[in-house]
Amino acid sequence: MRELLGNFKIPGDKIVLTLALVLIFVFFSMLNINFISTTNIINILLAASLTGLVAIGMTYLIIGGHIDLSAGAIVAFSGVLAGILSTNFAMPFPLVLVIILLTGAGVGVFNTIMVTKIELNPFIATLVTQSIFRGFAYILNDGRAIPIRDSAFTGFGTTRWWGIPIPVILLVALFIIFGVVLAKTTFGRNVYVVGGNKEAARLAGLNPNRIALKNYVITGVLCALGGVILAARMGSGQPAASMGLEFDAITAVILGGVSFAGGVGSMFGTVLGVLILQSFNTGLIMVNVPTFWQFVARGVLLLLALSFDFIRKKAREKKVLEDSMKKV
Amino acid sequence: MPGNANVLQFKQITKYFPGVKALDNISFRAKAGEVLAFLGENGAGKSTLLKILNGDYRPTGGEYLINGEQRKFRNPKEAIDAGVSVIYQERQVLMNLSVAENIFSGRLPSKMLGFVDKAALYEQTRSIIQEFNLDIDPFALVKDLSIAYQQMVEIMKAYSREQLSIIAFDEPTASLCESEIESLFGIIRKLRDEGKIIIYVTHRMKEIQSIADKVAIFKDGMYVGTVIPGEVSEKEMINMMIGRDLGDIFNELERNEEIGDTVLSVEQLTTDYVKDISFSLRKGEILGFSGLVGAGRTEIVRGLIGADVMKGGQVLLEGRRIRCRSPKEAMEQGIVLVPEDRKTQGILPNLDVGGNISVATLKKYALFGDLVNSEKESEVVEKGIRDFKVKTPSRYKKILELSGGNQQKTIIARWMSTDPAILILDEPTKGIDIGAKAEFYKMICDFAKKGISVILISSELPEIIGLSDRIIVLKSGKIAGEVLREDASEEVLLSLAMLDT
Repeated sequence: MRELLGNFKIPGDKIVLTLALVLIFVFFSMLNINFISTTNIINILLAASLTGLVAIGMTYLIIGGHIDLSAGAIVAFSGVLAGILSTNFAMPFPLVLVIILLTGAGVGVFNTIMVTKIELNPFIATLVTQSIFRGFAYILNDGRAIPIRDSAFTGFGTTRWWGIPIPVILLVALFIIFGVVLAKTTFGRNVYVVGGNKEAARLAGLNPNRIALKNYVITGVLCALGGVILAARMGSGQPAASMGLEFDAITAVILGGVSFAGGVGSMFGTVLGVLILQSFNTGLIMVNVPTFWQFVARGVLLLLALSFDFIRKKAREKKVLEDSMKKV
Repeated sequence: MPGNANVLQFKQITKYFPGVKALDNISFRAKAGEVLAFLGENGAGKSTLLKILNGDYRPTGGEYLINGEQRKFRNPKEAIDAGVSVIYQERQVLMNLSVAENIFSGRLPSKMLGFVDKAALYEQTRSIIQEFNLDIDPFALVKDLSIAYQQMVEIMKAYSREQLSIIAFDEPTASLCESEIESLFGIIRKLRDEGKIIIYVTHRMKEIQSIADKVAIFKDGMYVGTVIPGEVSEKEMINMMIGRDLGDIFNELERNEEIGDTVLSVEQLTTDYVKDISFSLRKGEILGFSGLVGAGRTEIVRGLIGADVMKGGQVLLEGRRIRCRSPKEAMEQGIVLVPEDRKTQGILPNLDVGGNISVATLKKYALFGDLVNSEKESEVVEKGIRDFKVKTPSRYKKILELSGGNQQKTIIARWMSTDPAILILDEPTKGIDIGAKAEFYKMICDFAKKGISVILISSELPEIIGLSDRIIVLKSGKIAGEVLREDASEEVLLSLAMLDT
């Protein structure tokens, strides 16, 4: 572990994002001192846990040159299915969890087959999945929410260890695990390779389809886990839950510096993106910004971040050029 | 004044890029009615100068004048509107449009209400195609044409513009066969006689002799001087551009004299693109694949390594029957391919030099199943950079910032790190300057001496004749003949590649 994290430092291009996060905290704390309370920070993290889980998968997918628009639908579908298995079939929670995670993996396989075997564009393919699984989420319990009575199940969303809710602990653990996998394993490295140039990657002896499969399965499983957590927290599986969740995740991932063109990005950036987005959201609510304006504010935040990235990139290119003029 | 510019003048043009001074105080002029060739190694600044001329780059210093009038094109469109066209190495055609639509894009003939006048479009396109002496259907889709024809479409597009007064060709013959080159030269001479200013960038001495009236020589971003080909020998020109003599480069190579037994035999290999191809390869042998572009050279090796699906036939590696369903499986069998198109198939553009080398072997020495072994990776990368003399300040340099030759060395380092038994090189020296080519030739002979069997695909006849122990000539997806080293000559190869038997 020490070897993996011992030399961890904030990468240069993430300093601005880190500062932005700090700035958001300072700003909202000045407007409302409760913002910086432990309770609120835990609330922010709890609220971030769902977007965060999806954002982990999305980081892999987008770096690898794909995307998944079915995330929100899978979360809702998993929640309802979990509710039915638990309440109507009285299955013990661990069994429910295993079945749901396998189902999530299955959805990932389904997405992969559409993308690699019938060569659908990932946008279109996962739009298909989104529609189908949102439909099933409604069909399963005839459009109604399914209450969950098993306390082991609901406890999964509400129990706290050392004062910290389980979903938050899980999120932190998964961020670390998937961050290390992305940065330190050959699989993680190959995600970047494939996202940069698929044909060159194939001729270089990689199997792009297998990497796509892993990425979609990871995302599917994480979405399914997210569905279970959400259902546990709300005490019911709700078919209309998490509409548009995939776009929150994509926003966070892009905010964190992942290139939409593929091949570039890091898990640490995604962590920052998720935290910035969620603390910004919570802050807006706490200082009573009207809901509709919150959407506008979020758009502006993303635009600012991307413009800033662009300006920095240009400045860096200019500096490199000037340096070389001095040298020669 | 479009249409009749007769002098193009560069004055003290300087251009900096990150890390390099690409052009250093360039001054000279080109006149109408003559073909001015640009001669120089890659990185000498020829292409950069063209990109300044067509508005793609802005010069850091200096200016250029057309007929005494200073011009400052801000983008290629402004240059085109002013009558300046550049035909690049990389084709800029729109693949999904027809030949006619490509040639007349932006100025399609129209009827009432803005509908495209298809009949007029067809006629206009057909007459240009006829002038070029080619056999293309005006409404054929460009993606269905051979690379050579795609390039012709681009040239026809520039040619069809009425106001064209300056036309520059950036190595236009890289993928053309002899007859295509001849018809191109015919067109160039015609343009010249019409009073256009022609700039012709090339590496090939032979072409300079046959097409250039004058030669402007570049070296390391500097303009060395202009010479007239008839008055100065090839040797002198090469000396001006590289400062050394490469005349006997092939004779100086130390070839592998101990060719072993057959290691690979391919029997009736069939894919969607080639049919019933049989050949064998011996240990330490350099086997050349010659033939026109599109004759099936690349398609054979793609079938062999599983990049294309093999539909029939069999492959025996040291007597063992193997079947590679992907380049990955071929690599595991020790068969690797350095692909033809470095930019789209070779380099991994978002990675650094190190990542580009280690990608093929990373998995082999991973720890605990999949963890990157950084120490071993560094070792492989450093060795690759050292062994293949990749010129880079560090392994962390982005590969896109290296020259074409060094990118190619990086790709070769990648594949040699897998310790292959059979190395397939597809146009390994395409777009690489003469100095670096010599290094590659030596490298290829060294591979053979180490017992590696090499399949070399090349459009450059001197290269394939100079290096190969045996040459297989392909024509229209079939083997047209096999020639031993001692019998090989440009005439023999060309007649096999082009004549009906």
